[in-house]
Amino acid sequence: MTKPLVLEQVVKQFGEKTAVSEISFQVEQGEIYGLLGANGAGKTTTMRMVLGLIYPDSGRILYNGKPYGNELQHQMGYLPEERGLYPKVKVSEQIIYLARLRGMSASEADKNLKYWLDRFEVPEYYNKKIEELSKGNQQKMGFIAAVVHKPKLVIMDEAFSGLDPVNVELLKATVKELRDEGTSILFSTHRMEHVEELCRNITILDRSKTVIQGNLTEIKKRYPREEIILNTSTDVTGLEGINGVSSVERKERGYQIKISDVAAAKTILRTAMEQSEVEHFEIKEPTLNQIFIKEVGESNE
Amino acid sequence: MNKMSTVIGFTFLNKIRAKSFTITTLILALLVTVGMNVPYFIDKFTGDDGPAAIGLIHSNQPELAGSLIAYQEKQGQGATGFTLVEYDQADEQVLQNDIENGKIDGYLQFGEGTEGAFPTVTYISKKDSISQGLQASLQSALQSVKAEYITKGTLSDEQLAALTSPVQIEAIKQAVSGGEATGASGEVKPEKAATINYVIVYVLVILFFMTIMMTGNMIAAEVTAEKSSRIMEILITSVSPMAQMFGKIIGMFFIGLFQIVIFAAVIAINVALPHNRPVLADFNMDLSQISVEVLVFGLIFYILGYFLYATLFAAIGSLVSRTEELGQAIMPITMLSLAAFYIGIFSMAAPNSTLLKVSNYIPFFSPVSMIVRVGLGNTPVWEILISMAILIVAILIFGWLSAKIYRTGVLLYGKRPSLKELRKAMRAYKI
Repeated sequence: MTKPLVLEQVVKQFGEKTAVSEISFQVEQGEIYGLLGANGAGKTTTMRMVLGLIYPDSGRILYNGKPYGNELQHQMGYLPEERGLYPKVKVSEQIIYLARLRGMSASEADKNLKYWLDRFEVPEYYNKKIEELSKGNQQKMGFIAAVVHKPKLVIMDEAFSGLDPVNVELLKATVKELRDEGTSILFSTHRMEHVEELCRNITILDRSKTVIQGNLTEIKKRYPREEIILNTSTDVTGLEGINGVSSVERKERGYQIKISDVAAAKTILRTAMEQSEVEHFEIKEPTLNQIFIKEVGESNE
Repeated sequence: MNKMSTVIGFTFLNKIRAKSFTITTLILALLVTVGMNVPYFIDKFTGDDGPAAIGLIHSNQPELAGSLIAYQEKQGQGATGFTLVEYDQADEQVLQNDIENGKIDGYLQFGEGTEGAFPTVTYISKKDSISQGLQASLQSALQSVKAEYITKGTLSDEQLAALTSPVQIEAIKQAVSGGEATGASGEVKPEKAATINYVIVYVLVILFFMTIMMTGNMIAAEVTAEKSSRIMEILITSVSPMAQMFGKIIGMFFIGLFQIVIFAAVIAINVALPHNRPVLADFNMDLSQISVEVLVFGLIFYILGYFLYATLFAAIGSLVSRTEELGQAIMPITMLSLAAFYIGIFSMAAPNSTLLKVSNYIPFFSPVSMIVRVGLGNTPVWEILISMAILIVAILIFGWLSAKIYRTGVLLYGKRPSLKELRKAMRAYKI
């Protein structure tokens, strides 16, 4: 079966600078694929190549087994990093306009727009101008513009940036809904926690190169668990002396313990239970954030 | 094609609905209205009601008074712009009273004339000056009186009339036919461009300049706005840049046309107002003199010229990331269109000058210079066709180039790219 989107050894250079070097990945139908990286790692360039805005210097991008063609314009949706809407035009007018440009009839576009406005519980925005809306709501309208024409492949560049937690949850829910309907989504972010919840497969880019790639759970397994959160009602002593503990940090309600060996966890728990009442004990799996920092070796913000 | 009409419709409707557009159009329409009514109001405030009644005193210089009356009678009542009210005696009190109660507007007083010389003339009225119209008509009347006074009947009336009538200079254009043998050949057709054609050419040239400046700026500003709001990235992935650019240009063209129609309607209404009719008649325009050729070619060049400039404005707009930088960036095109405008306006008096003939073959100047040449000069058809062909080729070349720049420019952010950077970007993007 052909996959909706396949990148093979795609390279893009701007003059001397390599923006993307030999990136390869595949997006299945009904999958949210995460593209991660620090600023300037090549996420946006990769997405632009997928969109057909710019062409790769070498390598291939295949859509359902075929190279880029004009008919794809109707099947793709794009949510750019910055809003990407006319500030002085009514929501209904511009979203219907964009949908028509992507080959949908005005009446159908209108129907879909109303559905999405209801979905976001903001039907009153139909006749509002974009500039009258808050930043988060503009983002929602941008999201509607990207999906109103029922695309098969949606590309979202930093979809959740600048949104409050409530709206992030709302958008996440709709993205999952799209995925369950069979839409393939290529999703870029530098916020790791969003990826952990949504994506099955990810690629982490650093300065144009692919650093980590593959299934999220498998990637996590590759990295040892080395942190324990311990909350107790009273103080616990002697934690530092346990074999395999590299450092102990006192926190507000307990301890954050770094370990070099998972076997130490049992001893820690036992020690704690002997001395006090344990309220919380957790062996944390490495967050994507930590993996990312470890691999990229710098702050992701 | 279908998408292009979507773009055209969206551009047009959006602009029409914009408040700024409504306000600009209204202000301009208002200005036009005011401008067209100015002559009437000037007339209203200076030219007073009917011919001025002027007191004429017989006692002082009966001979002069008599001949002024004779002149007045010869010209016919009302033709001179004043009427005479005769007085036998120079009684200041009576005259003053008559001025007060409006029987006369003022009176003439002749000074003591030394032998042979014409006496000084004084006009006494309530105002401290004399209106221009009255001064002119009084002066010509007195000129005639003076001639009669000095010649003292030695000349016949015809000779006098011949002496006082001003010299007429008539300008006739000579058609160039068959080299230097102009005067001798019978083919010389003295043809004077009708006034109405002058007006049409003038209006077309000004309209051309105005449309380019206004819609051109709008196109560039709109492209820059789309670019800075990043909606361009969505647009470019949905429509080909060619369709998008020309959709915008054509949409704006309709906007310009719509505006022109509004102004034309405003002008027509103003002209049709009863008080403005005589003013128009004064200009001596005859609509039947409009040459169809001038209108058709004028409009063709107008439209072609618009497209040439509009594509460039779109390309420039795509290179700029922020609206604030736009003014500086479109400077070169503004200069170019200004140059074309001045070549056209200053050459209207000499429509067959070398400057214009050369400009005919330069795409950026040819729209204006060709309008002038077709309207006022006599231009062979092949010249028009060559000029048109060059213009069309230029539109195709610049349209293609602009579309490329547009496609590249919309993805370049940051400072305005230099030509070299642009070329590099084009290569990098493989456009």
